[in-house]
Amino acid sequence: MKRQFHHPAPAAGEAAGPKYWRSLDELAATPGFQAQLAREFPEGASSIEGVDRRQFTKIMAASFALGGLGLAGCRRPEQYVLPYGKSVEGVIPGLPLYFATAMPLRKSAIPLLAETHQGRPTKLEGNPTYPPHGGASTLRAQASVLDLYDPDRATKHLVKGAEATTAQVAELLASLGKTYADAKGEGLAFLAEESGSPTRARLIGQLKQKFPRAVWAEYEPVQDEPPATAARACFGRDVKPIYRFAAARRIVSLDADFFHAESGSLYYAREFAKGRRVTKPDDPMNRLYVVESGLSLTGSMADHRLRLASSHIAAFAAALAGKVMGSSPLDALAQGLEFKDQDKWLAACAQDLLDHRGACVVVAGAHQPAAVHAIAYALNAFLGNIGTTVDFVAAGSSDASSIEGLATAIKGGSVRTLLVLGGNPAYNAPADLDWAGLQKSVPEVIRLGYYADETSALAGTQIAAAHYLESWGDARTVDGTIVPVQPMILPLFNGLTEIEVLARLLGDDKPDPYTQVYLTIAGLVSGDAAKGFRQFLHDGLLAGSAYPKVAVSYDPNGAGTLFSSTPKLESLSLHNLEVRFITDHKMDDGRFANNGWLQECPDPITKISWDNAILVSPRLGKELKIDPKGSLLQVARVEENEFEIGKENSRVFEVTVGGRTIRGPVHIQPGLSNYTIVIALGYGRTATGHVGTGAGFSAYPLRTSAAMHFATGATLTDTGTRALLANVQEHWSMEGRDLVREANLDEVAKEGGPGLAYVKGIGMESHSPSILGEVGTEMTPGQRATEIPRGGSMYSTPKFDGLHQWGMSIDLNTCIGCNACVVACQAENNIPIVGRDQVRRGREMHWIRLDRYYSDGHADGAAFGGEGNHELPEDPQISLQPVACQQCELAPCETVCPVNATVHDNEGLNTMAYNRCIGTRYCANNCPYKVRRFNFFDFNQRQLDSLYLSQLGPKGMPELVQMVKNPEVSVRMRGVMEKCTYCVQRIQNGKIEQKVKAAQAGNPGDVLVPDGAIKTACQQVCPAEAIVFGNILDANSAVSQAKAHQQDYALLGYLNIRPRTTYLGKLRNPNPSMPDYAALPFSRTEYNAKNHPGGAGEHAHGHGEAKEAGHAVSAVAKNLGGLS
Amino acid sequence: MSNIFPQSANKLPLQIIVYLVVLSGVLTAGANYYMTPKYTRVGYAPVQPVPYSHALHAGQLGLDCRYCHSNVEKSGVANLPTAQTCMNCHNQVKKDSPLLAVVRHSFETGESVPWVKIHQTPDYVYFNHAVHVNRGVSCWECHGQINEMEVVVHDKPLSMGFCLDCHRDPAPRLRPRDQVTNLDWRPADDATQRALGDKMVRDWKIKPPQSCSGCHR
Repeated sequence: MKRQFHHPAPAAGEAAGPKYWRSLDELAATPGFQAQLAREFPEGASSIEGVDRRQFTKIMAASFALGGLGLAGCRRPEQYVLPYGKSVEGVIPGLPLYFATAMPLRKSAIPLLAETHQGRPTKLEGNPTYPPHGGASTLRAQASVLDLYDPDRATKHLVKGAEATTAQVAELLASLGKTYADAKGEGLAFLAEESGSPTRARLIGQLKQKFPRAVWAEYEPVQDEPPATAARACFGRDVKPIYRFAAARRIVSLDADFFHAESGSLYYAREFAKGRRVTKPDDPMNRLYVVESGLSLTGSMADHRLRLASSHIAAFAAALAGKVMGSSPLDALAQGLEFKDQDKWLAACAQDLLDHRGACVVVAGAHQPAAVHAIAYALNAFLGNIGTTVDFVAAGSSDASSIEGLATAIKGGSVRTLLVLGGNPAYNAPADLDWAGLQKSVPEVIRLGYYADETSALAGTQIAAAHYLESWGDARTVDGTIVPVQPMILPLFNGLTEIEVLARLLGDDKPDPYTQVYLTIAGLVSGDAAKGFRQFLHDGLLAGSAYPKVAVSYDPNGAGTLFSSTPKLESLSLHNLEVRFITDHKMDDGRFANNGWLQECPDPITKISWDNAILVSPRLGKELKIDPKGSLLQVARVEENEFEIGKENSRVFEVTVGGRTIRGPVHIQPGLSNYTIVIALGYGRTATGHVGTGAGFSAYPLRTSAAMHFATGATLTDTGTRALLANVQEHWSMEGRDLVREANLDEVAKEGGPGLAYVKGIGMESHSPSILGEVGTEMTPGQRATEIPRGGSMYSTPKFDGLHQWGMSIDLNTCIGCNACVVACQAENNIPIVGRDQVRRGREMHWIRLDRYYSDGHADGAAFGGEGNHELPEDPQISLQPVACQQCELAPCETVCPVNATVHDNEGLNTMAYNRCIGTRYCANNCPYKVRRFNFFDFNQRQLDSLYLSQLGPKGMPELVQMVKNPEVSVRMRGVMEKCTYCVQRIQNGKIEQKVKAAQAGNPGDVLVPDGAIKTACQQVCPAEAIVFGNILDANSAVSQAKAHQQDYALLGYLNIRPRTTYLGKLRNPNPSMPDYAALPFSRTEYNAKNHPGGAGEHAHGHGEAKEAGHAVSAVAKNLGGLS
Repeated sequence: MSNIFPQSANKLPLQIIVYLVVLSGVLTAGANYYMTPKYTRVGYAPVQPVPYSHALHAGQLGLDCRYCHSNVEKSGVANLPTAQTCMNCHNQVKKDSPLLAVVRHSFETGESVPWVKIHQTPDYVYFNHAVHVNRGVSCWECHGQINEMEVVVHDKPLSMGFCLDCHRDPAPRLRPRDQVTNLDWRPADDATQRALGDKMVRDWKIKPPQSCSGCHR
């Protein structure tokens, strides 16, 4: 008999937790989903496919034959130790070195510290010297190191199809410079990406002197900074806003996804978290209003979220301004705006802003037209926010030409030589320009590119570009601080940098980028230039180089010019849809398309990996008749029971806007504006490497220069075909128990209420005496771990007698779900990618997953089939929860391992000895959190497209890919289970470092690692500082203090497995006077509806006396009467 | 047509059983001896590209281990010297010796001298030199009497059992920190050693890991 871990079954009607649903399927409780719940791994994850018995025997026979041959070489292989010929300064074999550098992206950059092992960078961390980021970094910065070692990158220079040396390229550029110098640049044109690099700006200045008639154009397919025209019109000068979210108590976002799509999003996420964090019931907490068309990360954190088409945002902003300012000249702009409870919504929101003058902020999305930004500036000026929650800084202006200007010049035939520096216009230029055709019409095209991509294919001369980790350069962060871009390694394929190309073209006698950067910085530092430059490289930033803050005053007349050109509001319908193009969370504008870590990372909201999709609202789905037969719900993917777990069998539709058509799979996404379809850019690359080619579809063919970010007039038509998407949203489900516990701030702050201990009133534990007993309940986590380590268990576990006891606390209130931890963990722990096909089978290897739950307050009764489910789930609340191994003290996985491959160490880690593991997978079977991952294939050694060839396929990791592996972590092989280890390599190295340091300081007994010295990869990267890790024996450690908060709870705590990772409950801060106010989070409404169907107080089953918290919560529910 | 099997065949089952027991015993014993690092690794003394003699350098000349293995107190790996380190002396001493051609070549070109690795743990074992030598474990404990070896020989098994012997009871193998690289240092007697070791374990909070996570990641 298979041994099952008996949870109290969440049978119909008496389910214990609030019912969240991760997908519409779950809500629909389809038979397929129910089957999935009972499985250890998603369907198909543990079956061999495509191999029948006969074939299997054949393959095995071949293997045995090969095995026999192998016996001949039964000698120990000789290995060599290869020391340097001459000692290298600073290099100590075996110890990593850290250098400051930065990842430039458009006009801003993320300052980084690169970890290098004997000259090869393996991991990037945020540079803690830059205070606004505090050592955090982003998803894309984490993954960018993989691009350096991409075997598919451009590895050689090509001049007219023939391979050229770097010297030849240099000569070519120099002669080009000479030729055009005489003509003053007539006929020469450049197309580059936006950049904040001061060196590049200096070189462009020189370029304009030497080639005054040359065209310098810049193009970025996505916009991440507010349009400069708005600030110029409103304030009469070139300024840009920097928001200070930490000081903002009320935040209104006008279609702005400032956690991801805006420049400075890392700083903003961090600041937002500071204003969001609650440790005491009376802590202030910000309130976030989001008005948006798609469902963004920012929207998922909203306390009040209004779904509104992107093209209606201007009208909304005007209407809000009208309410806030009493009267507004903008009323005409607001004409035609219509949404549910409009007046109440606007009035309550406006009043809230007026009540927080100087402590609120209105943010407009960078992609919105200048008029919206002007209104946001007007509101901030009126509310007195300028100087408190928003600062304006003099960022300078760019006089670069646009891609449209360049296109006109090319059409006019005046361009003879075009240099395309970076970017990828053949893929992402506005469709109406027909860039490919234009580029072909230019006699000479020189392309500096990192990949042999769509644009390179149309260029006569291709110059391989250097990765930023092999380049000298500089950049500016969002606040203008100048940061160095330092190379960690010599260019692997002799790539050139943009700076070098420009310098060579200029005929500079020292064109190497190091000298160029040095010259720039030397001109900026005071005193000894060489010393100043060294300090600049050491710190990773130039102190005091941030853009100066300027005092601005709002000029209504200037702003007025922007409003005259605002188009009239268009009402949307099934036949007149709005398309919104969004910057993808992972691919950005497509530049990261060949990055396997990013492709495999699921989208934070849709949870689709390796693809993008046409996102439609449930209502639109119904109108398109893609709701399933026989279901009350508008679910796209259970139609005709074709849904297989992990494989979203979606319909392929065609989107047509203005005669341009693309096709792609449709995914129904709750929370979208009714008639807005959302498409992520950056997919559908036709010429990139193995990874990116064929992932998703490109939305660029729909974009025209007139409608770059959203367009109206779109229609959708069914092509009748289907496509399988790799959607992980139902993988690793935990049956909707009381996983995320949340409350509203007013409930918590109420006198006599449960306070932050509300978490204790939710879930199984609230219905039973404490599993820790009276004594245990009073103890700190550290005491519990050491004094009652076995918790009454009959199994003997090792004594937790280590000097440290590791623990983690994750704050669900500040987690923004950005997925940076997922990829940081992947980079740190050598986690392989498995490919789209394997993800569809549920075999993804990420050690952390970010669960995204929906709740809409209506799901009720028997396993979601109740009366409430007739409602369309249009306005879901989102709850996010990162889940990695919880390091249970009484780990269920350990008791079932037949070979003791997973056992505890004396510091409380649930360790995994890979070399002992024989792959029974019993542990994964018995893990209640489903966090164990199994190597179904030798993902590291085999090609993803020949996994099923097994021993017959090619073996071995490309040398280039080997270089990115962290030497401190074993690379796992086929048949081995793995999981989060709390970054055991960092713990061990941290302890060793402390011991060595103490011994050398003559104080060898000082072996306790100071708090904060060891950081896990996920903690280090977290922009919101939501993850705290440390020693729970030390009462003053950050983790002990976090765990001492009242809203600390353990996931599935009633199982008495005593996880070392605990969570801090989530809070929402809705405004009671808003029309969509709900006194309880939706999940709690559903929870109460299920558990106390007759109203609160009438508990069918006995409660202990110490359940006041639980009763208090129920009382609140009762007061609410028939809510929902 | 009477007996197919002779009388003596009656003993056959017993003989077979005894044979099998003995065979399995021999196999077990053999595997336990011949298939462990004690047999497979101890005594391994490959030919090196340069006939470097530890007996001469560390023994007779009295060079400290750390002159060449300079980072052993800082890093997890005890580095081999760069050719530059060799040339510190050998640009004066035996500067034209043909035996040192490899070293001179390495110094001039930067190509490594391909020293053959002798002491080797499996890839999934993360042994750290720095923490051992800084906390009173001598080189001698794992590498033996290197200063008397003409050719370095793998002296101790370095098996997991070997590691655990010490990790379970470190006191007998600890010595003052300043004697760690003195390969000739010996305690006066077992009792002195025990007293010294116990004191170090107590004062230095020496608690070597015995869990998997100590060495395997």
